[in-house]
Amino acid sequence: MAFIKVEDLTYYYPGTEAPALKGINLSLNRGEFVLLVGSSGCGKSSLVRALAGLIPDFYGGKIGGHIYLEGQEIRTITRPALVKKVGMVFQDPESQLIMSNVEQELVLGMENLGLPVSLMKRRVMEVGEAFSLSPYRQHSVNELSGGLKQKVVLASVLAMQPEILILDEPTSQLDPVAGEEILTIVRKLNEDQGMTVILIEQRLERCFHLADRVVVMDKGRIVQNRTSLEELVTWAVEEGSPFLPPLPKLFAKSGFTQIPLTVKEGRKLISDKIEETKVVVAEEKKDEGKKQELLLQVENVAYTYENGVEALTGINLDFFAGDFLVLMGENAAGKTTLLKTIRGLLQPTKGTVRFGGEEIKERPVEEWAKDIGYLSQHPGDYLFLPTVREEIEFALDNLHLPKDSRVNFLLEKLGLTKFAESYARDLSTGERQRVALATVLVAEPKLIILDEPTRGLDYELKAYLGEILQDLQQAGQAILLVTHDVEFAAEYATEIALMTQGTIIAKGKKEEILSDSTFFSPQVAKLFRNLVVDPIVTLEQGKLVLEEF
Amino acid sequence: MNVYKQKEEQERMRQRLHPVTVLLYLGAVVFLSLFFAHPLFLLSLFIAVGIVILSYGLGREWVGYLKVGLGFLLVIMMVNVLLVRAGSTILFLGPTLPGLGRMRITWEALCYGLGMGLRLLVIISVFCLLMYVLHPDRLIQLLGGRSYKTALTLGLSLRLFPLMRTDFLRITEVQQCRGVNYRAQKKRDKVRQIIPALRVLLLSSLERAFQLAESLQARGYGLGRRSYYARQKWRLRDKIIIICICGGVLLSLWLVGSGQAAYSYYPRLQSVKTVEIYWSVLIGLLFIVPACFNWGWKKWPSLRSRI
Repeated sequence: MAFIKVEDLTYYYPGTEAPALKGINLSLNRGEFVLLVGSSGCGKSSLVRALAGLIPDFYGGKIGGHIYLEGQEIRTITRPALVKKVGMVFQDPESQLIMSNVEQELVLGMENLGLPVSLMKRRVMEVGEAFSLSPYRQHSVNELSGGLKQKVVLASVLAMQPEILILDEPTSQLDPVAGEEILTIVRKLNEDQGMTVILIEQRLERCFHLADRVVVMDKGRIVQNRTSLEELVTWAVEEGSPFLPPLPKLFAKSGFTQIPLTVKEGRKLISDKIEETKVVVAEEKKDEGKKQELLLQVENVAYTYENGVEALTGINLDFFAGDFLVLMGENAAGKTTLLKTIRGLLQPTKGTVRFGGEEIKERPVEEWAKDIGYLSQHPGDYLFLPTVREEIEFALDNLHLPKDSRVNFLLEKLGLTKFAESYARDLSTGERQRVALATVLVAEPKLIILDEPTRGLDYELKAYLGEILQDLQQAGQAILLVTHDVEFAAEYATEIALMTQGTIIAKGKKEEILSDSTFFSPQVAKLFRNLVVDPIVTLEQGKLVLEEF
Repeated sequence: MNVYKQKEEQERMRQRLHPVTVLLYLGAVVFLSLFFAHPLFLLSLFIAVGIVILSYGLGREWVGYLKVGLGFLLVIMMVNVLLVRAGSTILFLGPTLPGLGRMRITWEALCYGLGMGLRLLVIISVFCLLMYVLHPDRLIQLLGGRSYKTALTLGLSLRLFPLMRTDFLRITEVQQCRGVNYRAQKKRDKVRQIIPALRVLLLSSLERAFQLAESLQARGYGLGRRSYYARQKWRLRDKIIIICICGGVLLSLWLVGSGQAAYSYYPRLQSVKTVEIYWSVLIGLLFIVPACFNWGWKKWPSLRSRI
């Protein structure tokens, strides 16, 4: 008997005519690690919410079909029994933390279940130790980093000891190290304790190889449900599906019939064929000597917050028209502070920031809007008007710029024409992101600053965003971007800067920086490290090497 | 609450008292500051609360609160000296002011203003202590039990308020980057410019509220009878402090009732008797007991587990 069985499940959100889920049929075994993938808005989150009983109990709407947990129809299971059985962790830790103290947060679910104090104490001790949270038990949750907050949420759910753990993009807001840590914990829970795990994740390179089963969804339907990852890879390659991690994608594109899933497997496959130092990629050398107009000069900048935290120290940076620099580093390394200092939102406590030779502090923030565009981590912060078109025109009104053809041009370029008269907050994550980007680009700034624009975007949307940014770079606009997404940085950036504790510790061409880093390194770079002479970081570069076999 | 800093908070947690003890202490100081008219007793309370604040390592935070308080103190003093014509020691005779008559500044009116300001500083210091020493979660636990829903609502509000403040700052930054000018001179323009930010804040807060509610639902909120993890412990330290508070309040009532803590500013300042100094010092000593514990624990950490 299947542990979880879904039969002909169809669901409509309240007030909608199109179903979010259409005739879903699925059987999952106890102890499986299930990876659920698909584009934004394809129904992944709706499906897992139905498995957790939140649909329709919390959301309302119309539902058809059946869900069985261990043979029992979910609607006949009492809520306490269901809460004990299914634990769910959502994307944004900030919107899940209820209490202000870590220990209180850890016990919240257990208190709701009415567990005795002695048992709660034992479990708090256990999850505290397992997640290395014991030193933070009496801390305020507001003081924790994003990674620690997500750990607290996960620990709080696990303290309830669910049999099924559902995670909806739990690492999307975390740096590579913190994301890896969360997934390691999840893997151990699955392997050591036999917990059934259902994971929704966009960055497949982190978790594809962990899955016992991969379920691919599209437009509310399940289009693939495979336990053999090799079969799934073959299908994805044949169908041109974007939901493949970079490594299998590279081998498939290079014509290999044997597709590795991990870097280890990939290296094993090619190491016999590559004789060290013989493969040299004939990379197209760009004219490095020709630097264009100097846009931005950051000289010895330091910034200290009122509470005494030194967020930036001794930052120096020259930025030219046509540059595409990605800033990377752990959470709280000072990346966002640097962006805000450059944008003039924070005044450096030491040093100067100049744009076009003029000190940023000489003009108020709003007066720089025509020169420096800024896209924050939260696209929702831009959206409040009734239509997408009005959102874009709002910036033009503020800057006293004419509402000429540029609005239609941007709508077209960013694939938003069909949403021009829609309410922006009703759009999907990727669409909202593009609307916010359009409101920034409409002023045609020379420098575009983007703070984690890839958060929550699937492979397709990331590729789309990357291409847009490269087009802007080609047009002479400079891009300064913060992201935790190493694969994105490797594919689209020209230069990388690594930050830690408020300083830039390394800066250079992406090939130099990303090819020999442990965590800030794409799968392709890990594959070829020490096997070829040239630093290889992009899929295209990797393909050139593999095609030589 | 974002005023909490990790290390300091941990230290305070180790030194913590039962929330009822904290509330009784703070309540008693506020009550006595309103009860006493004698500046010596007010000064004694102010010094006692100040010592307790310093013993928690909150000197920097206290200075911030006092700066605000001193501004008010100056206003009170100025209004008092300008409006009150009583007092016989004239410091300054100025021109005639419309509606106020001839300006007449007396030493007694100045001292009265200073006394009132001192009272205000005591209350502001109590507020500072409340903000930093009593964690909202512990207050919620105190309210918990049968009124859990109220407690949770209060807790969520306390958690969301700083979050909303952060959101609002971030949203206004974003809007500035889109060219919105918040430096407009006219009030009407200012309001017009702030509206988009408020709309975004409202929409984002509603989305967050929905997500929090979903998280609560997923973790079994509202299933019925719930259990309570943390029971606030009564310790010897709480009993000692409560005895001191009761002693201080009873002594104060007796002193005021018997006229030994009375004071008159007009027409001339009443002279201070030696016995009043003794009594005020005793009252102060009774209210610095929490500070004695804090320092004692720092010097002899093993005392923490004993009391």
